[in-house]
Amino acid sequence: MNSPLATALARIGIDYRPRVPAVGLRCSLHILPEQIRSLARSLAGEGFFIETVTAEDMPEQNRMDGIYLFNHYEGDMRLLVRVTVSRSRPHLPSIGRIFPGAVWHERETAEMFGITFDGCPDSRNLLLPEEATFHPLRKDFTGV
Amino acid sequence: MSAPPTYSLESTDNGNFLLNLGPQHPGTHGVLRVVLQMDGEYILAADPVLGYGHRMQEKIAENMTYLQALPYVCRMDYLGAMSYSLAWVCAVEKLCSFEVPERAVHVRVMACELNRIASHLLWWGAYLLDLGAFTPFLQAFADREQILDLLEYITGSRLTYCYFRFGGLAADVDDVFLRRVEDFVTGFRQRLPRYHDLVTGNVIFHHRSKDVGVILPFEAAGYGVTGPCLRGSGFAYDVRKCEPYSGYDRFEFAVPAEQEGDCLARYNVRMAEMEQSLAIIEQAVATIPDGPYRARVPRVIRPPAGEVAMAVETPRGELVIFMVSDGSTRPCRVKFRVPSFANLSIFARLARGQLLADALAILGSLDMVIPEVDR
Repeated sequence: MNSPLATALARIGIDYRPRVPAVGLRCSLHILPEQIRSLARSLAGEGFFIETVTAEDMPEQNRMDGIYLFNHYEGDMRLLVRVTVSRSRPHLPSIGRIFPGAVWHERETAEMFGITFDGCPDSRNLLLPEEATFHPLRKDFTGV
Repeated sequence: MSAPPTYSLESTDNGNFLLNLGPQHPGTHGVLRVVLQMDGEYILAADPVLGYGHRMQEKIAENMTYLQALPYVCRMDYLGAMSYSLAWVCAVEKLCSFEVPERAVHVRVMACELNRIASHLLWWGAYLLDLGAFTPFLQAFADREQILDLLEYITGSRLTYCYFRFGGLAADVDDVFLRRVEDFVTGFRQRLPRYHDLVTGNVIFHHRSKDVGVILPFEAAGYGVTGPCLRGSGFAYDVRKCEPYSGYDRFEFAVPAEQEGDCLARYNVRMAEMEQSLAIIEQAVATIPDGPYRARVPRVIRPPAGEVAMAVETPRGELVIFMVSDGSTRPCRVKFRVPSFANLSIFARLARGQLLADALAILGSLDMVIPEVDR
């Protein structure tokens, strides 16, 4: 299997294991925060495009996951990447200098979940009011 | 995160000035504000300001049952509501492994493609209005009206359709509808050359759109551009072909693509797409079987725990609904990856160094729906 996905993952030493059943996701990975930039660089080199950056809050497990979706214009190579961060001090490295389109996604994730993206070229709120400091997509958010 | 509300554009004293475009401006097609740093007529930097129409759709969906959230989903992109509701019902059907009867599959495809033509027609009229041509708008609306009538006949609504259900449709279609769709396809195919006569070869239109706002292929990937904007830059990436859903693999159609990447290329792609949509509708009407229009599904939807990514090609590009279920009646996490958001994010890059008038031509050629960007 010599797909761009396998090549991109092999370059940073990750085995490509297709996901069965696929449910729209060809492959899913759980990686460490310090791996995300090298993964993003490798994917960008193989022509992948960024679909989105978001997060999922799981307070009952005291855990928060940064979620990345990448895909390829050759089609059907959607890759889901989960990166677990601490709920109390969530930090992730920004991939905004690798995928310029990630900046808006990171700004949105930052305001919605309170995750700080280190090195993001722009850290202003995107959809919420400029001065908002609440994080509505956290599960414990009940309103302002 | 709580950065002070200043804009990254430094004020300058060498004759440059800040220009505030919007949030209410005909050229932005919705409540979008763009702060422009200008040097005379030229744009030094553009900073889109979003969120004026933000409704927190994802949180709403996470606090509702799967069925209750369905009408909200259709209100994100009010010009392509069929594709949005299709993505939502297909995501749930994928999670629950529901089968959809053939008849429903055909009607779904028909409805989505009619909606795509209506959306492209509105874009066509509004885009030329942006460029200063008034007649095309009226021409496009005459044909679009016929599609709205058709869809109103089966759904009861004219824009924010909520017609699909888990396992099928809300109601069956009758032969009157199918005959009217056939008539529309025949009639519109005859009228389409008039669109080209009126605009496509027009020299003023070419001056405004050729070599303006070129999206380079490698930039497209960096910003996640999809849909006609991407296909104008040489990639034939269309979810309907690459990851066929809802029976699209049963129909024959081409994916039009252009190489130039400018506004004219995006225009040509959309014009060619309307013809392909007509071909799909024609096949769907010809091969529609009799039978049930909805499968038997449980009254209370309780998908097994798991996650799904459902991608759909909306008129504007790739929509992905990423849904995490914890086995309860409400989704535990919903992410809407909307095409206009990514397509608009490249605008600042495209507008740099352009004339203000060209920037509006670029903005229009991206065909974004702001409530979809803001969600």
